[in-house]
Amino acid sequence: MIDYLLLIFRVLVFPGFTFILFFTMFCDWVERKIEARMQNRMGPSFTGPSGILQPLADFIKLLTKEEITPCESKKTVFRFAPILAFSVLVFAMCFLPFDGSSIIPNVSFAGDLIFVMALVSVANFLLFLSGWASANPYSSIGAARVLTQFLGYDIPLLMLAIAPAFLAGSLTISTIVSSQWLPFAVLAPWAFVLFIITMQAELEKDPFDVPHAESEVVAGHETEYSGGKLAFLKLARDVQIVFGAALIVVLFLGGANGPVFFGLPAFWGTLWFVIKLLAIVVVSEYLTVLFARLRIDQVVRANWRILLPLSVLSLILTISLAVWIYPLV
Amino acid sequence: MANKRIISPMFKEVLRQLFKKPATGKYPFVKCTPAEGFRGKQVFDINLCVSCGLCSRDCPAKAIEMVEVNGKRRPMFLLDRCIFCYQCAESCPRNAIKASDVFELASTNKSDLVLKPQIIDQKSNGA
Amino acid sequence: MPSKEIDMIKVLETKLKGKPVQIQLGHLGTAAVQASAGAYKDVLKAMLEADEKTAVTAITGIDLGANIGVYYHIRTSNAFITIQAEVPKENPKIATVTDLMSGAAFHELEVADLLGVVFEGHPSPGRLVLPENWPEGIYPLRKDVKASEVKLNPPSTVDEKLSDEGKLVKIVIGPQHPALLEPEKFAVTVDGETVKNVEPRIGYVHRGIEKASESRTYLQDVYLVERICGICNSCHATAFVETVEKILKTDVPHRAKYLRTIILELNRLHSHLLTLGHAGLEIGYETLFQYFWRDREPIMDLIEIVTGNRVISSSMTVGGVRRDIKDTDIPKIKTVLTDLRKKLPFYKEIYENEPSLKMRMQKVGTLSKEDALKLCVVGPVARGSGVDIDVRKDEPYEAYGEIPFKVITYTAGDTWSRMNVRMDEVEESINIIEYALDNMPAGAYRVKVPRVVPAGEAVNRVEAPRGELFYYVKSNGTAYPERVKVRTPTFANIPSFLKTAIGESIADIPPNFVSLDPCFSCTDR
Repeated sequence: MIDYLLLIFRVLVFPGFTFILFFTMFCDWVERKIEARMQNRMGPSFTGPSGILQPLADFIKLLTKEEITPCESKKTVFRFAPILAFSVLVFAMCFLPFDGSSIIPNVSFAGDLIFVMALVSVANFLLFLSGWASANPYSSIGAARVLTQFLGYDIPLLMLAIAPAFLAGSLTISTIVSSQWLPFAVLAPWAFVLFIITMQAELEKDPFDVPHAESEVVAGHETEYSGGKLAFLKLARDVQIVFGAALIVVLFLGGANGPVFFGLPAFWGTLWFVIKLLAIVVVSEYLTVLFARLRIDQVVRANWRILLPLSVLSLILTISLAVWIYPLV
Repeated sequence: MANKRIISPMFKEVLRQLFKKPATGKYPFVKCTPAEGFRGKQVFDINLCVSCGLCSRDCPAKAIEMVEVNGKRRPMFLLDRCIFCYQCAESCPRNAIKASDVFELASTNKSDLVLKPQIIDQKSNGA
Repeated sequence: MPSKEIDMIKVLETKLKGKPVQIQLGHLGTAAVQASAGAYKDVLKAMLEADEKTAVTAITGIDLGANIGVYYHIRTSNAFITIQAEVPKENPKIATVTDLMSGAAFHELEVADLLGVVFEGHPSPGRLVLPENWPEGIYPLRKDVKASEVKLNPPSTVDEKLSDEGKLVKIVIGPQHPALLEPEKFAVTVDGETVKNVEPRIGYVHRGIEKASESRTYLQDVYLVERICGICNSCHATAFVETVEKILKTDVPHRAKYLRTIILELNRLHSHLLTLGHAGLEIGYETLFQYFWRDREPIMDLIEIVTGNRVISSSMTVGGVRRDIKDTDIPKIKTVLTDLRKKLPFYKEIYENEPSLKMRMQKVGTLSKEDALKLCVVGPVARGSGVDIDVRKDEPYEAYGEIPFKVITYTAGDTWSRMNVRMDEVEESINIIEYALDNMPAGAYRVKVPRVVPAGEAVNRVEAPRGELFYYVKSNGTAYPERVKVRTPTFANIPSFLKTAIGESIADIPPNFVSLDPCFSCTDR
């Protein structure tokens, strides 16, 4: 009985669904505040102390607005795509070991790194469908851009993710985390840097911000959405950003490992995970603020001509230097 | 032509701005005062007025109406039409219209935006 | 009497011997040629042969009672000549000049819309400033039209065809669109992501200011005309009061000229900083946008100190300026300008070195020098393509004749060059203001002028931040003007966008468009 209650607590509250939800909103606030300070302005300041309740206020405000479904759209897909995308992403998050073991206990299996990446692709595909199902030329152009971008950048992302898997000797996320006494970012820095850049493109942030280019396609695939569906689309995007950062932490920065001070290892694990995740979010936001937005053809060219060859090279480099790196693992 | 560098100067500048005070102020909790000579809400001195009506004739936005107060014609300012050009102040031969720096004029009812000419009572000292 | 026109007049007198034309030097303040409706094109051809930089500045239509006057205001590299032709009201037909100068297309459409003149041979006739459901036969600028007889037809319910049978899709940008600050419609035909054709429709912000100015006194018109555009408001006011002063033949005091120059240059500073930031926003570079607009705030505070308001300055009047600069304010002004000058090298380095910005702005929206001359573009758009026209140097007004400054040109003709022109002009403006503050003459800043203006007409040009701004005022001896004609720079520049957008991708449309610095309130009046 107690086990079941603990299971429910773990999955639904901490470090499960509720924690992911509020942590996503917290990361959104961190992003907006850091971006604002880098641009020499205030950022959210009035809702709650230092504006920390702003993402929650935005979410609740959107839930209270009227929902309009265009009569020409494919209604089922239109209605379910946002919430499905959000759910798939949260489900994928449940495989990441926030405090040393995955959130839904005992679900890790051999090769779940590939499974998790496949789930992210499904979520991106659902976002594409959300634009495709709205009968609007702006949405279809935005959806096509989402598809072009994530399909293109998934390939170097996978190749770069293989590097830590190779060094750890397994495709299971928990094994990769537990074999990092020294973070892989230190052992294979070339893969780490390239992975951050590819993740920028995967998460659709500047300079690869094309699907969200307001001045060209109004709002891209989100154009026809309003009310609760828009709230969940935006939340899905935020969860995607947290997921990307969490993946970097798990693959390259040692997950929940870190110096433990006074016992209580479970608590310390989550704390270190959160600190590393916030550091990645800040670095990613720094890269966003620095650059302008590239055109879609420039983005595609950057992928096939620059990132793909570089990720192949990084794989080759990791494999050839593996002999010297193994003793440090 | 500017210098050519290897990395753009934005990298350092953005990090520098992170540690500076933001350029935006927390209005409305922190007020700001406009410069001297700012053309805000009009201040009308009824004792100097000679009822010539030039302010009303010259107003480009037809925002001044002459109304009867105590048997004399005085200007009534309709602030929701006013464009704050102060042509009225220039046309007035007696300098009866002066500027103040009040600019927070938004209101939820229209009667707040009408400046009726008042007699400044000598005894109550113009409260 | 201006001596520059004499050369061109001599050329015309030789070339047009025997034609029914009458040349008047000094008329309208510069020079005019009165031609019949059949002969005016020969005058234009003669001018084009004499000088390759001949361009149409504006075409004014005016109701003269029994006739409608069609005045062509032509600028050459060192002269400004008006060709005055008339057509009878019952049969207002005249030949088009678009075969000689394609930049005249928009001007002719406007005269056709508002006065009913039919331009034979126009390549794309149709409505320009009035809505589609405006009743036929009612021309607003004619004197005999009454507002009560205007009854709008019901709006058409036919949907625009958004795609044809092939693979070309028509995307409609506007009237409401995040890239445009003000409503205008551009129907862009695309093939995949390449633009094949652009069809513009302007007139959404047409407020009829030219007609409204005929029922207000000259004093009230200064404030009306100022509100044609919020960003370049001082330039409109200056152009109008200068034209009226030309009719009155008054001269403003020397100090007033310097004060006007300072206010105009402050206006130019804040406008260029606005455009530079806005261009950053269109290419997704939010950081650059926030930095430019943060640096623009002290300039707004300066404008508040000098004129009393941050945006609409309301400081020009017929006969001078309305208020003086206090000596205690001058150190404040200089400190702000010095701070801005220190920040400029940072922005120049970003334009030189930032890879994502260069990828979005270089080789985008290229306008060659020949096209710039044929389409009669003005302002930084022309100067970015190597055409060095600047009214401050070509026909100095206010104190510009006494203040040394450079005219900035770049030759590449793309978006990057136009933005660089504006950035360099920011530095030139700072130099001009500092020179004016140091050398300000003492004396009065205003003279009294009569309220009733004697009969006459005059033209005037001013260099607004977006280009050459043109005014024509005709007075009939009462306190109300007979005709006020405004030709704003964006009106002349929009046809160049129709040329530069073709062949590029849709994603290039926002930066291309913003580099023109469009101001639709100005365009539509």
